Amino acid sequence: MANRTVATAQSIHGTNPQYLIEKAYRQRIYDSLYWKEHCFGLTVTGVMEKAVDLNSIGGCYGANRKPTEFMCLMLKMLQLQPDRQMIDALLDQTDFKYLRALAALYFRLTQPPKDVYSRLEPLYRDYRKLRMRTSDGPFELTHVDEFVDSLLRENFVCYITLPLLTKRIALEDAGALPPRISPLDDEYESSSSDSES
Amino acid sequence: MSTNAYGEDKRAGESFRRNWDDDTYEKKAQDREQKTRTEEEDEERRRKGLKPRVRNSEAKPERKELLQAHKHAINLEGMVGKTQVVQASVAASGQPGFYCKVCDVTVKDSMSYLDHINGRNHQRMLNRSMKVAAETIDDVLAKLEDLRKAKQRHNMASADYNFHEQVKLQQQIDQEKKLKRKEARRRHQEARAQAETTDETKSDAMELVLGISSFGSTKK
Repeated sequence: MANRTVATAQSIHGTNPQYLIEKAYRQRIYDSLYWKEHCFGLTVTGVMEKAVDLNSIGGCYGANRKPTEFMCLMLKMLQLQPDRQMIDALLDQTDFKYLRALAALYFRLTQPPKDVYSRLEPLYRDYRKLRMRTSDGPFELTHVDEFVDSLLRENFVCYITLPLLTKRIALEDAGALPPRISPLDDEYESSSSDSES
Repeated sequence: MSTNAYGEDKRAGESFRRNWDDDTYEKKAQDREQKTRTEEEDEERRRKGLKPRVRNSEAKPERKELLQAHKHAINLEGMVGKTQVVQASVAASGQPGFYCKVCDVTVKDSMSYLDHINGRNHQRMLNRSMKVAAETIDDVLAKLEDLRKAKQRHNMASADYNFHEQVKLQQQIDQEKKLKRKEARRRHQEARAQAETTDETKSDAMELVLGISSFGSTKK
């Protein structure tokens, strides 16, 4: 009932979108207090409201593997399956960094590789700090661009096994993406010209 | 049209006879047959211990509202440390645990209480469907605007922060707290003094009956 994916949802990577989070962990989220109290009956706007009040990202922590609020809202989004326009709007906004991080993770989980690269690479320019809950319990300092980098390179982020992402080189060779222009290129050129002069 | 052997309309020459509307009575007969059939089936199922069969013809009641989130914080810790006199009655409201007024049910456990509140039966009692409202991109953009404005208001409020004013305010609050605490202590002492005097009258009655004035040792 409250834990079922919305009826109009489409399958993501061949399965029910909620199954992107593995069964054992999903069950821990369903049994958590935050999910039952705060994530019950939420719509997309409700999730936004809660995400704005987030103060950390992370998977699960402690010996009990307690899920973070970030993960509960992530599962709620997978359950609601907001459409592409909504996710784009949440990714583009710069006012709320934790909401942006949530949207970025959702994007990485659900969208095809070409879109993932083209939409998440601009987030490399977001240098804001994020508080991350480590699996042992205490918090760690990270940044939005570090988080996005881990989404694009790593397999296991926030206790979720990310779906396989084709390597950027492969997509460039196939012509689906233009070669990557790093934001540091301008700085590099200007510094190399300085060193020459 | 029913005709007799001569090809005449049978009914034509019988205008004095009573006529019934065939259609209504046919429908009545069909309904009655249907009803007896379903009742027989349900009776058999009940004998076997099954529930009556769900039939499409019976209309499902439309739930008026869509599923909503909990607006107010659910108070699970309100009774922690408190003592409650429990009635031995069967009524659910007197039992220890978490009581749900809407369903007249007491649940022993906070997690089960949350499951109950989020569950189908409770929502049915509140005449709510288990489906959540579907939203559009416009709702999302409007919500983003609201959140931005709220953030701005919050920032503006903190921009008016004046250190010295805040210090004065805090000093006032501390003074008031001290006064309150003194008052409370004075009242408490008065109450205790009164209680001692009433205790003495109680012990007179006890002395008459039992021969002792108080329990406990008189040793110093």
